[in-house]
Amino acid sequence: MVPVSAVGARGGSAPPRSNDPRPRLAQTLFGVEFQSPVLLASGTCGYGREYDGLIPLDRIGGLVTKAVSVEPRTGNPPHRIAETPAGMINAIGLHNVGLDRFISEKLPWLRDNLERARVFVNVVGRTVEDYAEVVSRLDVEEGFLGYEINVSCPNVKGGTMFGTDEAALAELVGRLRTCTERPIVVKLTPNVPDIGVFARLCEEEGADGLSAINTFPGMLIDVDRRRPVIGNVSGGVSGPAILPMGVYLTWRASRASSLPIMGIGGIRSARDALQYILAGASLVQVGTALFVDPSSAEAVHEGLEAHLERHAISSLTEMVGALELPAPPPPDAGTSG
Amino acid sequence: MTAASPLRHRASVLSNRRVAQDTWWLELDSPGIAAASRPGQFVMIGYGIENTAAPFLPRPFSVGWRAADGRVGILLRAFGPGTTRMARLRPGEDVLLLGPLGRPFELGRDRPIVCVAGGVGLAPFLFLADEARTAGRDVRLLYGERTGGRVFDPELLASLAGGPAEVWTEDGAVGQRGLVLEGIDWSADRVLLGCGPSLMLRALAESAAERGVALQVSVEEHMGCGVGTCQGCVVPRADGGWAKACTDGPVFEASELAWSP
Ligand SMILES: Cc1cc2nc3c(=O)[nH]c(=O)nc-3n(C[C@H](O)[C@H](O)[C@H](O)COP(=O)(O)O)c2cc1C
Ligand code: FES
Repeated sequence: MVPVSAVGARGGSAPPRSNDPRPRLAQTLFGVEFQSPVLLASGTCGYGREYDGLIPLDRIGGLVTKAVSVEPRTGNPPHRIAETPAGMINAIGLHNVGLDRFISEKLPWLRDNLERARVFVNVVGRTVEDYAEVVSRLDVEEGFLGYEINVSCPNVKGGTMFGTDEAALAELVGRLRTCTERPIVVKLTPNVPDIGVFARLCEEEGADGLSAINTFPGMLIDVDRRRPVIGNVSGGVSGPAILPMGVYLTWRASRASSLPIMGIGGIRSARDALQYILAGASLVQVGTALFVDPSSAEAVHEGLEAHLERHAISSLTEMVGALELPAPPPPDAGTSG
Repeated sequence: MTAASPLRHRASVLSNRRVAQDTWWLELDSPGIAAASRPGQFVMIGYGIENTAAPFLPRPFSVGWRAADGRVGILLRAFGPGTTRMARLRPGEDVLLLGPLGRPFELGRDRPIVCVAGGVGLAPFLFLADEARTAGRDVRLLYGERTGGRVFDPELLASLAGGPAEVWTEDGAVGQRGLVLEGIDWSADRVLLGCGPSLMLRALAESAAERGVALQVSVEEHMGCGVGTCQGCVVPRADGGWAKACTDGPVFEASELAWSP
């Protein structure tokens, strides 16, 4: 099957000519125009509608839905979330309405109410066939652009399996490629020794893009009660605390593959977003910051616009992957200590 | 969206006074939220996107009171680092407000109202008693605290709620000694409402269920978004599954929820 993203190279289309009225933040990716590089991250914006009236979705780049699985999932016991230093931990447990209700109740609103916002459906499953069923059955529907394949949620037993196992991930991506011509974006887990290996593998198996990254596994203990705070014992850590790790892993992934990347993790300002973009991301997603302030995604969008204008940069694509490394580059910038 | 969208704006702190041990009464300037709120609804209060220190996530607070001049009253008890910082808010500082949010109490018509409050569960009932008494309803406000030191300044309480509360303390230092539940007259016909710590709510819900009495409770859970997107705030439903405290609640019929430990 031929991937729909004719764009191929990271960074999208050529910069606009000087008399081109195209907005500075616009890019062509996955065969369509994104008016803004700023999307809302999966699990932090529901199915879009919940933020209607609070976030002008058609002014930003789009959104990624809560994970959709074949069967409805009830999720984990409370507490499901708690604050951590400069962030939060969550173990929602992929609580979602399931594929049938997603199609009948959630997708119509997205189809009927969004014009310019691009929608990705976040897909999760326990087996390759689970994922394939969601993708195949959704594929005939309207109201979304493509899929973000969640192989990285650490909250359900075995949930890290696809994302941390090269052979399993290759099989999954290869199989999904046969189910759809829509863009397939694989959301990588940070929980692997070398994210580049997984980025490359997704590209080889026909994926159209990468999302980097999902949450980091973590734990929070109530010392007075000597108990984990989170009902599920452990959860995923997100928010500003994970920003440098997200930027680093985005950079590693972008060096290993030529797929467009959605940079995710701790973004709450245009400068945060620019770090991801310079590291190689074409798009970014804002998650936890929406809980702190629902206006934060729009603020990131406006801040990016202002930054490009101030520095007389005519197109965001000039910034994608434009990180300048010191010469000579450190022998292995991938190690610490 | 059928319900009006919540408002999001920065609001000035007008005053913040200590009203009991570890307990503050905060007044914020928010004409929009003051006008739109109904008793039982809540607001998210945060420090905004620049802030990463606790409280990093905004915290839910019941609308504790409102005034025609746009003041919104919040009852705040310092439990951890986040609320301790909020207790130090000073006039002129501002916070980020989102609200009003959630499902309010249903008061029906005419029948007397009995509010059973434990600790900072008092908050929604100051607002409710004030509105309902102004509308001519008969309101009994039963209010329990563990210790006398924690009892909300009685004069301020009476002025906010349009009348006094019947106070119960476990140490007997203020009001009657015992648990606030002892104050309920189960034979009376009334609208029964509860808000407080989960153990108190469970005892109240079990007593009401045994007697076949309808009860509305306002529940608390950790929240992320406050608007129904994150699924972070769930409480167990009686029929299995989960309800979202933020949009299905925070007010529920007690019979909608599962109360077993
Ligand atoms: C409450 C919550 C729920 C999430 N649910 C999902 C999910 O269903 N699928 C998924 O791929 N990622 C999920 N994530 C991960 C986010 O999409 C994102 O990758 C992560 O939070 C890092 O970004 P942030 O720091 O901006 O939040 C969730 C995150 C949070 C905080
Ligand atoms: S706090 Fe996010 S769904 Fe209730």
